[in-house]
Order: sequence, then structure tokens, then C-alpha cells
Amino acid sequence: MPNFFPNLARGGRALAALAGLLLLSGCDVNFWRMDGHQSTIVVAGPVAREQLHVFYVTVWVTLFIFVVVGAVLAYATFKFRARNEVDEHAEPPPQGHGNPFIELGLIGASVLALVIIAVPTLSAIWSTHDVPEAERKNAYEITATGYQWWFRFEYPAELAALDAAGAKAPLVTGNELVIPAGRPVRIHLRTVDVIHSFWVPKLAGKVDMIPNRANFLWLQADQPGYFWGQCAEYCGDSHAVMRFRVIALAEKEFSAWLEQQESTARTVTAPVADAAAPRPQVAALRSFRQNESGVSAKFDLDPLAGWQAKQLPEANENAALIGQGRQLFAAKTCSACHTVRGHGAMGVQGPDLTHVGARSTIAAGLIENNAEQLRRWIRDPESVKPGNKMAKAYRENKISVSDEEQVAIVAYLESLK
Amino acid sequence: MDASAKTAYLTKEELAPAKPKLLSHPSAKTGLMGWLTTVDHKKIGFLYGFFALIFFLVGGFEALLIRTQLMVPNNDVLTAQQYNTLFTMHGTTMIFLAVMPLSSAFFNFIMPLQIGARDVAFPRLNAFSLWTFVAGAIILNIGWFLPTATHGAPDGGWFGYAPLTSKQFIPKHSIDYWVMGIQLLGVASIAASLNFIVTIINLRAPGMTMMRLPVFVWMTLITSFLIILSFPAITIALVELMMDRNFQTSFFEVSGGGMPILWQHLFWVFGHPEVYILILPAMGIISEILPTFARKPLFGYPIVVFSGACIGFLGFAVWSHHMFTTGLGTVATAAFSLATMAIAVPTGVKIFNWIGTLWGGHIVMRTPMLFALGFVWMFMMGGMSGIMHAAAPADSQQQDSYFVIAHFHYVLIGGSIFALLAGLHYWFPLMFGRKVSEFWGKLSFWVIFVGFNVTFFPMHFLGLNGMPRRTFTYDPNLGWNTANFIATMGSYVLGVGMFIYFAVLTYTFFKGERVKKDYWDGRTLEWSIDNPPPEYNFRVIPTVHARDGWWYEKHHRAEIEKEKSAHAQAEEEHGGIHMPFGSIWPFVTSVGLLVGAVGITYFDSDWSPGIHAKLGVSLVGGGIMFIGIYFWSLEGNEGYHLHLDQDGRPIADEPHAKH
Repeated sequence: MPNFFPNLARGGRALAALAGLLLLSGCDVNFWRMDGHQSTIVVAGPVAREQLHVFYVTVWVTLFIFVVVGAVLAYATFKFRARNEVDEHAEPPPQGHGNPFIELGLIGASVLALVIIAVPTLSAIWSTHDVPEAERKNAYEITATGYQWWFRFEYPAELAALDAAGAKAPLVTGNELVIPAGRPVRIHLRTVDVIHSFWVPKLAGKVDMIPNRANFLWLQADQPGYFWGQCAEYCGDSHAVMRFRVIALAEKEFSAWLEQQESTARTVTAPVADAAAPRPQVAALRSFRQNESGVSAKFDLDPLAGWQAKQLPEANENAALIGQGRQLFAAKTCSACHTVRGHGAMGVQGPDLTHVGARSTIAAGLIENNAEQLRRWIRDPESVKPGNKMAKAYRENKISVSDEEQVAIVAYLESLK
Repeated sequence: MDASAKTAYLTKEELAPAKPKLLSHPSAKTGLMGWLTTVDHKKIGFLYGFFALIFFLVGGFEALLIRTQLMVPNNDVLTAQQYNTLFTMHGTTMIFLAVMPLSSAFFNFIMPLQIGARDVAFPRLNAFSLWTFVAGAIILNIGWFLPTATHGAPDGGWFGYAPLTSKQFIPKHSIDYWVMGIQLLGVASIAASLNFIVTIINLRAPGMTMMRLPVFVWMTLITSFLIILSFPAITIALVELMMDRNFQTSFFEVSGGGMPILWQHLFWVFGHPEVYILILPAMGIISEILPTFARKPLFGYPIVVFSGACIGFLGFAVWSHHMFTTGLGTVATAAFSLATMAIAVPTGVKIFNWIGTLWGGHIVMRTPMLFALGFVWMFMMGGMSGIMHAAAPADSQQQDSYFVIAHFHYVLIGGSIFALLAGLHYWFPLMFGRKVSEFWGKLSFWVIFVGFNVTFFPMHFLGLNGMPRRTFTYDPNLGWNTANFIATMGSYVLGVGMFIYFAVLTYTFFKGERVKKDYWDGRTLEWSIDNPPPEYNFRVIPTVHARDGWWYEKHHRAEIEKEKSAHAQAEEEHGGIHMPFGSIWPFVTSVGLLVGAVGITYFDSDWSPGIHAKLGVSLVGGGIMFIGIYFWSLEGNEGYHLHLDQDGRPIADEPHAKH
């Protein structure tokens, strides 16, 4: 094998090795660009932009101070150091005690620098607090509620059908917040248990969800897009994996989405399931490492398109399997905690699953919503999200789901578009 | 006590009938009993330092485990539960069991020497503070050795936000250990602080006016005031939490109408001054080291002192900047934002004055000076990111992200720890009469300095790129992989640096080169005595004529010698050097507190057998504590007199000495 780098010094090779190691560790050698999915630097809405603007003011002012003060400090350290043994034991320098005029001057300069920071800070405190007066009427209202460890989103203005008879209640979804793009959204923040914090870095800084406290925030997405969010307040065992997504849609698509969501759960008509019919043999799902990633690089290339694709029914649906899954959903008491409007499931402990098949992620934005990951979750929720209530319900009610049952439930849930 | 010794121990009480044996004063100076009964501020300071360094290593080990888990995305070295316990205990340990007691070690050891005192004002209370600190440390860590399912070490975060800490969400006893452990540490800190305040106000040598106090003593005084004013807030919060958990009260319990936000206010009313409790002693140490090695007085002494007081004062007015995301509303957010920015002024002033001290000096570049200069640089960087948090809108993106982690490690490691490491090197020759090798000292500095920056600088990027703190795992697609990997590598380098530092220190303690007194050509009174310091500290209480008392003395020898011999004679006529007796009762009192705390925390509150064991053990602990306090009062606070020979050796310590 030819040596491509014959003249590289050893240090250079070590650097190359280090770079190789870094590449192996995940290919984001440009981490200093800070342009990830949860970036606070590459932002996508007016609130985050205003906060970023204040941040940049603080950065430039402090950087200037740091350079000036640092230069003086470095100069003093170098200029006045004892150069040798003799110098160290020379007569001590003049024993001066200070100079009040220098002190006062520097205090004045510090105050001035802080004023430069304080002015945009104060202005942004007010502008980021609530929707601007002029647009307040236009603001879209949503209520977000934190649970250990997922988010519930309620649309108070949208009425969703509860059953065929026509009963209605405000639309509820979970873990994926769909908002209209280009329009201010006011989100009321609630919690049912401990303190959580609602954070979509690209759209707005976080505000906490605190019991007995009516917090809210506002945000706006400039363009349709797909955004990553995360709980930002330590809330127990699985705080790290309490995530969510925000999908901003153009006004027309948003209306279409609302219309779809407001309908009851989709029913795939199947021939009457024959309980006695032999079920197909299903291979066991591969095992997953603890904390194994459930996301794919492919999805990240165009997440919005990925989400849109989930809105359409899966290709070659197996109606019989879906019917079995629907029965199992009730038989395994899933319906005690989850709601599937129109399918008789009315539980409110866990996320509303009426249209779960149309979401791009499950388990609170943690893993992608596909047959394999969904089955991984249903098989052993504890290993995906330690301490969660579904795993607890499995233990307490001695629920176990066989391979065949897993596949059927997955088929059913994926059919809920 | 034999007859010859009796002539040396000239207390008038001994002329009275002999006391019962239980109340006789312990006389052991060495061995286990010597340590348990000691009231000598130097031995107590040493023990504080010893325990603090052990816990510093424990906390550091916890940090390395945390960094190992985060080295690569989706790592599974630790479970979620273990990770959450580790970050809780890392924070709690480093703050309460490492930095605070290490500062306390210096307060104990150095402060009385700097003001020309022979001990602190209440020597036995000092011993009580030490042993109660140890009791608190035991309670905090006891969960590591108990079953995780029902006990376990604390796992609610070092801030313990309600209502996560309630029985409903964490039913096991881990939180009880956290509550009781911090409660005991609070008792220890408040008792110690009262002691330091009284000592500084009352036991200064003649001529040591307040405006001649070394800056380290000033910072001890301000820190002590911060402690006695801020700890009551957390004490109340902890009592309320304990009541919620044990007696179904509803201070923070939402179902009973409690207010979880109240916890945050009480916690940060303590928690923010606590930040200054951690950094002011460090600033004091730096203000001692820079003048010594620049060989000129501190630039702008009155302003440095005043700005320290200013920081302490303002420190009580900014607690809600930890709560910018809790929905304070615009006006409160603006007020706390501006108050926080205001703190940057006195802090900046200190940095200007440190540079002014270097200006025109003859800087002798020794290990303590390297650490001190490292402190100034790193603290500046931490201060700058602090200003970024002060701007509330920017903070709403940074709060609870790795940006904050970077910020406070720059002020707590680059600040507090660097200063404490500098202080250890600086005062080591005084404390133990030996000096650390310059080569190994400087090497450890550079390894620590590089490791520290490689660990924490990338965290700024992580935070701005949206990585939240207190997360045991992250996905590979968020752009956090490289920075996390670098940070973990840096933490290993930092670990190696710390290992070198402490290995060298340990070696020096036993085998280091012996040095004469005043090794660094110091400026303050502690350098005027022999090393290691004799138990009575000063042969003659010095009279202070200038701000840098010992520097003045060195340059006005003849005048001072004359004055000293006159004072020595006067003291001898008064019966000699007065020393306090040792006592076991502070130790017994602390043991009582420990037993009581175990009773309250370990057992369940439900009926049989829980509540009986709980009550029983708590009452036994209370009984032991009561006995300790009772005999502590009964044994009396008298001391004995010491007479010295020509070489400064106590005559009483020589078994056959004739007087």
C-alpha cells in the first residue's frame, strides 16, 4: 500500500489519528458551527432570533472586555516577571498602594459596558414575553401539559369527534405539536406531576411547566418546518428521553391536518376475524442495546417530508392483522390508559393514540415511528424509557405481549393515520 | 498529672477540690484521642482539609463516571438511575463536602494566624462544627451502601426541586438522606461562621484594625456573614420538605394546595449567596498570593475589601436569576437581570486590582502564583459567560443547558478550586514545614489547566447547540458527538492532573524538602511564626503597625524586637500563655446528632415497626446529644497556662522540667 503521507511529522500523524477518531465518533467535526437540530444559533423564528440578538450583544461586549483586560494582564505578567534567580532576590519594587482615579475610571467603564448590554436586554424581556400587541388577536392558542415523561397537546379551539354519535371535545394529541407557520402561537404550559420545561431551541427559549402556576410562552415559525424539542428541567428517571417535535405547516396544510385529526380513528375494514384461525409464525425482534438510538440519518435528510409521508396509509396493509391488533389493544388493557377516539378506548393516563400512525416519532420524540421501533417499545418499554408508567402497568398487571401479538398491535397502531 | 506538671498548669480551679473523673479535662495531644478531643484550630483545620480532599476525590470520581457515560451517544455504561444519582451527588459533594470544607480548612488554619490570635474564640464550638460536618457527610453518603430500591444515595438533583422530591415521586429514603445531610452541614457551617465572626471581631492582635486585616480575613468575615444569613432559608425549606415527606403537610405538596415554586425561592435565596460562599474565600486567597509573589502590596486594598462586601450584599438580591424560566413576569425578570449585571462591577473591580497588583511588581513565578494567575484568567472567562446569563432573554436559551455547565465550572473549578489548590501550595510550607517540588507543582498545574479547558470549553458549544443538562443519553444526530468526546478526553487529562497534584502533595507531606520559616518572603502575620506552627501560635502576641504587618516587622526589626520583649515579660507576669483545654463533648454531641439523623432518615414512618424504630433511634440520638451538651457546659471553659523556654518549647511538655 503506497504511503500517501510520507512527509508528515509524527505530530501531524497524531493529529490525523485524532481527527480520524473524532470522525468515527460521529462525523460532526464542525461542532463549532452549532447548527444542529436543537441549535440556539441557527434559529427559525422571531422569538429565538430576538434572544439570539441579545446573546450576540453580550458576546461582543464581553469579548471586547476580555481581549482588552486579557492583553493588559498578559503584558503585566510578562513585563514585570523576575527574569532570573538574582532578579527574584533583588530589592522589592516600590510598595505602591493603588490609585483611586484609575479605579474610578475603570468602574465607570464597566458600568458603561453593562448599559450597552442592559438596553437590548430590557427591550427583549418585554418583546419575548408575550405576542406583540398588534398580533395578539391573530395568535393561535394551544395548551401543552407535561407528564412523566411525555407531552400532551390540546387545541382548545378545535373540536374533535369522540364517537360516531357526534359527541365532541377539544382536540388532543401527544408528543408532536403541529402549529401553523408564520403565525404567532401562544402555548399555555401545564403539568400534572413534577416540573417540566418546554424548549424548542430553534423557535424560542424555554419556559417551565410548574404545578399551580399558569405559565405560557409564545413562539412563531417563519417557514413550514420540522423542529426538535426537549424537556429542559430535571423531572426524574427518564428526563433525558423526554423529548418532542414541533411541525410547522402552511395555513392550508394546517387546516387539512386539523380536519384529519378531528375525525375519529381510522378503521380498516377487515373480514370478520376468525379467532380459531392459526396465526402466522412471527420471528422474534432482534435485541436492542440499552439506550440504543432509534433515529436514522435518512429521516434527518428531509424530516418534514418524512412526517408528511406518515400521514398516508401504509402500503399493503394487512386488514386481518390490524383487526387482531385492535382486539388485542383492548384485551391487553392498553385502552385503560390510552384514548383511541371511535374505537372505544378512553384512557387518559398516556398519550392519545387516535392518530398515532400519522406521527413521525413515538415514546415522546425518542424513537422513529416505524414497525421495528414501535415493536421494540411495545415489547419492553422499560428498556427504552426507564421508570415509565407503561412498564409499571405491565409489571403490576402481569401483561406480556408475545411476538405475534406485538406484530398485530403494531399493525393496528400504524394503521391509525 | 504528676507534681512537676502541676507547677506548669497553673489554673486556679486546681486549687479547688478535684473534679469528678468524667469532668476532668483530656490531655492527650497525640493518637486517636488527641484528634477527637482537640480544640486546636490548626488540627481542626487540618481535619477539615483532610476530609474535604477525600470528598473532592470522591466527587471527582463521580464526575469521571458522568463524563464516561457521555463520551459517545447512546452509551450504556450507567443506567438512568445511576446517572441521576451520580450528578446529584457530584454537585452536592463538590459544593458541601469539598469546596466549602476546604475553604473552612483555610479559615481555621490561617485566619487566626493572620490576625495574631492563639485560637478561635470558641475552640470547643469549632470542634463541634468539624464533627457535625463529618456527621452530615456520612448521612449524605450513607445511601451508597444501602439497597437502591428502598434507600440509595440522593437522586433528586443538588437543587432538589419540589415536587419531584416528594414521597409521591421519590418514595425511597434517598431524599431523606439528602435533607438531613444538608441540614447537619448547615448546623456545622452556621456554628463555624459565628465562631469566625466573633474571632475576627474580638481576637485581633493590638494594632490590627479592621482596615489592616489581610484580605483573606475580610473574605472569611464576609463569607461567614453570608453563611449565617443564607443558611436559615435552606434550613426552613428542608424542614418543610421533611414535614411534607414524613408528616403529610402540604408546603410543596400540590394535592394539598402547596406551592412548588416556593421551594425554588427558598432554595435560591440560600443557593445564590452560596455561590459567593464558594468564591469569596478563593478571592481572598488570590488577594494574598498575588502581593506575595509580585512583592508589592495589594493594589487598592480598600476597594478590594469594599467590593467583596458589595458582592456579598448584592448576592442576596439576585437569587431569581436562577429562575428566569419559571415565569416571573417582565418586571421581576428585568429587576433581577439588572441586579445580576450590577454584580459584574465589583467583580470586575477585583480583577482590575489584581492586575494593578502585578503592575510594577517583581513577579516570582512559583507554583502558587501559576495557580493564582490561572485563577484570574479562568475566573474572567466564567465571569463573562455569567454576564451572558444575566441578560434574561439570552438566558432562556442557556438555562439548564451545557452552556450553564461550562459557566459554573469555569467559576467553580477555574475559580474556587484553582484558588484552593494555589492556597494549598502557598501555605503548605507554613502548615507542615515542607515544600512541594516546583517541577512537579508546575507540571500538575499545566496538566490541570489544559485538562480543565479541554473538558469545559467545548461545553459552551454544546449548550448553544441545545444540549440540556442532567441527561444520561443523547442521540447521534444532534451535532453533540465530537464536543462530548473531546470533553470526556479532557476530563481524563484533568483527572491525571489532579492525581499528580495530590500524589505530589502526599509525598511532600511525608518526605518533602524541609524549609525555614517565611519561605515565600510573605507579608502577613502567619509568616512570622515557625513552621509547622507551635500549638500556641505566637510566642508573643504581635503588635501590628501596618497593613502588611509582617512585611513592616521585617523592615523595622530593632523597634519590633524591643516591643516584643516588653510584651513577653508582661504576659509572663500574667501567668504565661493561656491555652484552652481539649474536650471530648463536642464530639459526643455530634455523634448524638448523627445517631438522631440516622433514626429520622433510615426508618419508615408507617406503623410498626417503622415508627417505633424511628422514634427509638432518634430519641437515643437526642439523648446522646443532650448528654454531650450537658457535660460540655459542666466541664467549664477554663484553660491552662503554658511557659516557654528559650527556644519556644513549652516547658510543661517536658516530663522532668523543673520550673
